Amino acid sequence: MRLLLLPSLGVIAILAVALGALFQYSVLAFVPGSLQTGGFTLANFRSVVSPQYLGSVWDTVVLSLATTALTLVVSYPVAYALARSTSAAVRSALLVLTLAPFFTGAIVRTYAWILVLGNTVVTWPVPMLFTERGVLVGLVHFSMPTMILLLAAAISHVDPALERAAASLGATPARVFRRVTLPLSMPGVVSGSLVVFAWTLSAFPTPELLGGGKVKMIANVVKDLALDSFNWPGAAAFAMVALALTLGLLGGLGRLAAGRVER
Amino acid sequence: MNVRIAVVALILAWSSPMAAQAADPLVVSVWGGNWKDTVDRVVAKPFTARTGIPVEFEVGGTIDRLAKARVAKGNPLVDLTFTTTHVGRLYISDGLYQRLDMAKLPNAREAAREAMRSEHHIGSWAYVYTVVYRPDLVKEDIARWSDLWKPSLKGKIAMPDFDPSHIITIAALMEGGNELTWEKGQERLRQLKPSIVAFFSTDAQSQDLMKTGQAPVQVMLSVNAYHLQEQGVPVKLVQPADYPGVVGIDTMAVMAGTKRADAAHQFIDLALSREIQTQLVESLKAGPVNGGAGVPAKFRGQPGIFVTPAEWKERGYIMNDEARAKTLPAWREWFTANIVKK
Repeated sequence: MRLLLLPSLGVIAILAVALGALFQYSVLAFVPGSLQTGGFTLANFRSVVSPQYLGSVWDTVVLSLATTALTLVVSYPVAYALARSTSAAVRSALLVLTLAPFFTGAIVRTYAWILVLGNTVVTWPVPMLFTERGVLVGLVHFSMPTMILLLAAAISHVDPALERAAASLGATPARVFRRVTLPLSMPGVVSGSLVVFAWTLSAFPTPELLGGGKVKMIANVVKDLALDSFNWPGAAAFAMVALALTLGLLGGLGRLAAGRVER
Repeated sequence: MNVRIAVVALILAWSSPMAAQAADPLVVSVWGGNWKDTVDRVVAKPFTARTGIPVEFEVGGTIDRLAKARVAKGNPLVDLTFTTTHVGRLYISDGLYQRLDMAKLPNAREAAREAMRSEHHIGSWAYVYTVVYRPDLVKEDIARWSDLWKPSLKGKIAMPDFDPSHIITIAALMEGGNELTWEKGQERLRQLKPSIVAFFSTDAQSQDLMKTGQAPVQVMLSVNAYHLQEQGVPVKLVQPADYPGVVGIDTMAVMAGTKRADAAHQFIDLALSREIQTQLVESLKAGPVNGGAGVPAKFRGQPGIFVTPAEWKERGYIMNDEARAKTLPAWREWFTANIVKK
């Protein structure tokens, strides 16, 4: 039985070595105009916690929370219809529409959003493209298929007899949803939210393309430092800080959500 | 018996080191898309025809290729690298290039002085970053760098954020400084902020922004602007009347530790020849580095295409490579904090 753990232990070991190399880089001095690094320093971490970079971290967390909340709100009705529709044709159509984005790459979808959010197809009352609003729309669209599938799986495990029983005792449809369906589908809500939050924290192409360089999330800053400024030690330090932050946030949110589900 | 001897001789010939070396390809590192296609068609094909040495390409972005080269230091995966002149400085700083043997580059004698970037890398072609705009979407004429600051262009301009050195240098020049005293242009740059609608990280993004009209005025690579014109996008390149365009020079270099140094030198020498330079001008719409190259009349005097030493001097501003490579991180940090961020 323990032998079965070997592949995962191998993966963990490789990841640990890579993280070790990243950490080693993060404490070496950056020499502008050179690929050579200097000696040991903590200056990279001091630079990373400057207001400029902390602003990007803050923007990332806010955008990730907003994306998670919005994705949950717009995905739940679709997931509910997917799980509960009595029409096989409707379920098939919803499933196809949900899965279709998986068959187009993130880049293709984001380029499509550039056309939609720009004023070429629709004239928007407020600027959408190259703003945080536009990035939010792109991230929600990107996250919806996964959220819908996770929610639909959870909702389909809720026994409809419980909803009918509540209704027969006089509960309104809204009360049935609030007191029965939603609490019983919480495992899907929690897992979907954690997945969406986690990958939005590391989003790269959507803010890169829809943000027009003005919306910088963590991954974009790491790329800027490493590939545009050639500051690989700085990029490594920022990546380490971002990793610690992500693990901390996910751990905290996971513990909070586990408490909600158990209750 | 004679047949046996002939077969043995043939096998020996095939297995000799010289034959093996001739069959080994020369591996050239270059950007993808039109860059690779052009180098392949214009330089590599004639090179193979003349020398019998096949050419293979390692294609990628500027920094991807630099990262790969660094990992393979001492035992390079490629023999010859094309890259921008200031990134070439990073290769040099890490000992990734070998010194060019000028005796093996007779065509370099005809190269413009500006093309001799260092003892390790030499220019292959030139271009400028200049103002490019869509006259169908911008009703007023743009004729100089200072026009970018007109209030009527608010929300219409895009520029690169991966390398803001061009606009930083121009702003400094406008305030009586240069790239070494770039702080002089900071206030002027801040005034430009409301006019910038987007920043781009790649040439493809820049061209998309121009095609869709999302950013009809850009600080743009002249080569990309000519490419858009070929595609029927009505863009106009400005030959700025107040300050020159900022020159970019792409370079070639032989990797340190390559076993194909002679072939790499031959390749570079061919690329510098009048004949190949003429074809590069036609194909890339870039400026030749060989003053003897034939430049079609329609390209003469156009932005980024310099033929005489006087044109190099008067119509283009060449930044100090070393200062650029060293200061770029500081420029980017300031630019991101003060211009890019909300």
